[in-house]
Amino acid sequence: MNEQIRDEIERIEKSAKKLQTLAQDNPAILKNADILLTFVYILKFINPVPDEEANG
Amino acid sequence: MNFWNPYLETLPREAYDQIELSYFRRMFSFAKEHSGLYRDKLKGIEEKDIRSLDDIKKIPFTEKEEMRKYQEVEPFPYGGLLGAPIEKVTSFRQTSGTTGKPIYVPETYESWQWRVESWCHILYMAGFRPRHRVFLPFGYNVYVAFWEAHFASEKVGCELVPGGALDTKGRIHKIQEIRANGMMNTPTYGLHIAEEAKSMGIDPASLGIERMLCAGEPMPPATRKRLEELYQCHVFDHIGGTEPCAWAGMCEAKDGMHIIEPFFLVEILDRETLQKEVDEGEIGVAVVTPLGRRSFPLIRFNTKDLVIKGKNGCSCGRTSKKIKEVVGRTDDLRKVRGVLFSPKTVEEVLRKEFQEVEEFEIIVERRGLMDVITLRAEANPGLTVSSIEQTKARLRESLKVATNLSFNVIMEPPGSLPRYTLKAKRFKDMREGGKNE
Repeated sequence: MNEQIRDEIERIEKSAKKLQTLAQDNPAILKNADILLTFVYILKFINPVPDEEANG
Repeated sequence: MNFWNPYLETLPREAYDQIELSYFRRMFSFAKEHSGLYRDKLKGIEEKDIRSLDDIKKIPFTEKEEMRKYQEVEPFPYGGLLGAPIEKVTSFRQTSGTTGKPIYVPETYESWQWRVESWCHILYMAGFRPRHRVFLPFGYNVYVAFWEAHFASEKVGCELVPGGALDTKGRIHKIQEIRANGMMNTPTYGLHIAEEAKSMGIDPASLGIERMLCAGEPMPPATRKRLEELYQCHVFDHIGGTEPCAWAGMCEAKDGMHIIEPFFLVEILDRETLQKEVDEGEIGVAVVTPLGRRSFPLIRFNTKDLVIKGKNGCSCGRTSKKIKEVVGRTDDLRKVRGVLFSPKTVEEVLRKEFQEVEEFEIIVERRGLMDVITLRAEANPGLTVSSIEQTKARLRESLKVATNLSFNVIMEPPGSLPRYTLKAKRFKDMREGGKNE
């Protein structure tokens, strides 16, 4: 379950980064994509995979 | 649902240890790369040297004094404490500055949201849910605690009602008007609201508050119980600070406070050497590392909070480490009306700005349910009546700016206050359990 959640978070991350690439002249989209990436950071933080963390 | 994050709050001990070690190593490298303070402080220590939680003990503590020093350089006003590009900073907070120059704390959007996420644990543990309409009877100013409460309440899904810019009576009316059923306040102010309500002919229990979360000053168990009796509600405590964030909170079992793991690595170390982790039931100093907040990296921050280490396990099902109680601070600061206060700040103001004041004494008393702080200042013999009045007014103003407290000022005749040949005892804390120095 934890790994599946991680996979979904990574998909959001990819989408947010793609949005930033597609909308470089649109501050509103850039900012909202940036906010998505903020929550990607937090989602990753609150969904650690202990074995992966142990292996660095 | 009893948990804000069921996965994260019920991990086995070894999983917490693995994750916290990994997060610590990451934060260590990040701090070394991005913060001027840690670039210097951690020179000669590498991430690869940290192979276990025991290895962390080799890393030096971070003390407030050195933070002040590193704050003095560019970029203003955060200097070498900043862990992000200055243009990424989206909010400013600061410490109260009662022990010296305030520490200015930068938050990026990311760091603020990380901070809010950790605060959601405190709220949820204390039983706050979307059905609660939460009243915050404060203007938050540049101090962080109630801002965190505000944002975390929204995130948990509570309906938040900011209650600044009203007097106490106005706040009581507002609680009634909107039928608030949750409240967050300092314990002292909670007691004061109850007292004021009674003077208005209103039984505090009739206000309908179901849950109260307290912050800002130590809350002895008797005060918590008194608040519960007055409001007929559940009252919860938590601990934290502007620099390290709020790092532990009370669950519905009300048996100590849970450390918010793995957001924070908390060491509770013996007071004398600050080397060894104390045993359950012993008093130690809390040393805190926030593990994901990058705008303001902090490695092994010496909070100077004295806490009793709690037992493992809890009837609530959470598996995080616990502290049993907060017992004070190593630097013996006082909390007056929820504000950290150091008598030295007053001395500094007087010696710097008021040559006309010879001697002084500070008295803190509990009148009714509120703390009252009085400065007895002894004027030079040559002062006229009108200049004494001017001095009193200036004193009130300067002390308010320096301490964030409103002082009663009494000008005493020359020679009326005691003189000391050894250590002066100018501070008298007349409250129950208070100390003089």
